[in-house]
Amino acid sequence: MKHLPKHLRPRWRYLAVGIEAWPDAVVGRRAFQRALWYGAGNLLGDTGSADAVLKLLSFSFSGGAGEAVVRVRRGHVGEARAAIACVSEVDGHPVGIRVRGTSGTVRACEERYMGRAAASSTQRDVAFGDAERSAVVRGDAYDVRAESGYVGAAAFDIE
Amino acid sequence: MYEAVHAHPDGDATVARHAMTAARYGYDGVVVRTRTALESGDRNGEANATAPATDPVAIGDEYGIDVVDAVEVDVDGPTAASGAVGNRRPDHAVVCVVGGDDRLNRYAVEEPRVDVLARPNAGGGGFNHVLAKAARDNGVHVEFDLGPVLREAGGHRVRALADLRKLREIVTYYDAPHVVSANPASHLELRAPRELVAVAAEAGFDPEWVREGLRAWGDIAVRNRERLSGDFIEPGVRRGRYETER
Repeated sequence: MKHLPKHLRPRWRYLAVGIEAWPDAVVGRRAFQRALWYGAGNLLGDTGSADAVLKLLSFSFSGGAGEAVVRVRRGHVGEARAAIACVSEVDGHPVGIRVRGTSGTVRACEERYMGRAAASSTQRDVAFGDAERSAVVRGDAYDVRAESGYVGAAAFDIE
Repeated sequence: MYEAVHAHPDGDATVARHAMTAARYGYDGVVVRTRTALESGDRNGEANATAPATDPVAIGDEYGIDVVDAVEVDVDGPTAASGAVGNRRPDHAVVCVVGGDDRLNRYAVEEPRVDVLARPNAGGGGFNHVLAKAARDNGVHVEFDLGPVLREAGGHRVRALADLRKLREIVTYYDAPHVVSANPASHLELRAPRELVAVAAEAGFDPEWVREGLRAWGDIAVRNRERLSGDFIEPGVRRGRYETER
């Protein structure tokens, strides 16, 4: 189909989203997109969700941290931000999520807010509480394996 | 803006991890609701070298954020709450009482030593104009808990939203003080201030009112730290520079 004249094309905003999870979490692109749509549908309703059109453009996730670019219609950034904040788990894995910033172009979004993923994670044994435990270390963040799941700690706790 | 968090062992992240994440998200401070998270040493007072960091000042300096030592009193009835509040008040900058039943809500708003009535709607508890007036007169902040809005779905969330709306109508009408929080139990449940404001705005809150509620935690901490300091005698009376230590 012939593309629209410039003044009729929808205007977009691109949100850079930072994602965090426990080290054993597996968060896939499709699952994340589904979580976004469900979050928007539940919070904003069908009409609001259709207005905001949260579309996942790029997505990367590994070892408990990731980032994504979400395309939103201009003028609906507030609603989109709220819907994104309501994504509390993806496929049963709890996720921490944060909008790092918004841009008018994908390129500006990527240059300004993306690619600052923390150092890759390593496994280490640390003394935490009363025992020696294994921990996944990513930069300053230590996710310590405890009896019931992980405990989030920081370098300051371990030293 | 401040966020009030549940830290390890009550939550899944240590105070330092909460502080680190909150500093990155743009908060000015974290209020640590978990009493044991900032207590150094075990019951015998012996410091454990491998325990998570517990000194709020050191953690605050490390991450450039204000760490507020708080306590959440979660008991069955007003009698026990009264005892706990009396015991904890001299040591903590912020004292919260977890509401959720009618008698506890009533106790919390009528006690000027309490700073925050936390989660007034969590259980079967109600909130009405009588409590709102008492909260205003005693300076007790009513907490607006956005946690269920962020993390629940379906009927639970609808009920939480309905409760928040009712609470908002009562509290704003009587101009009672309020605080806003997402009640995060780990760094993953923490959300940046702009996100909280956006979610609250979708739920019908005025954005500036929500920001005020996030700042109120800091105001409470500043006021109470001054009161707990040695120079404070009573409101309006401070130890002056001519006074000497005896």
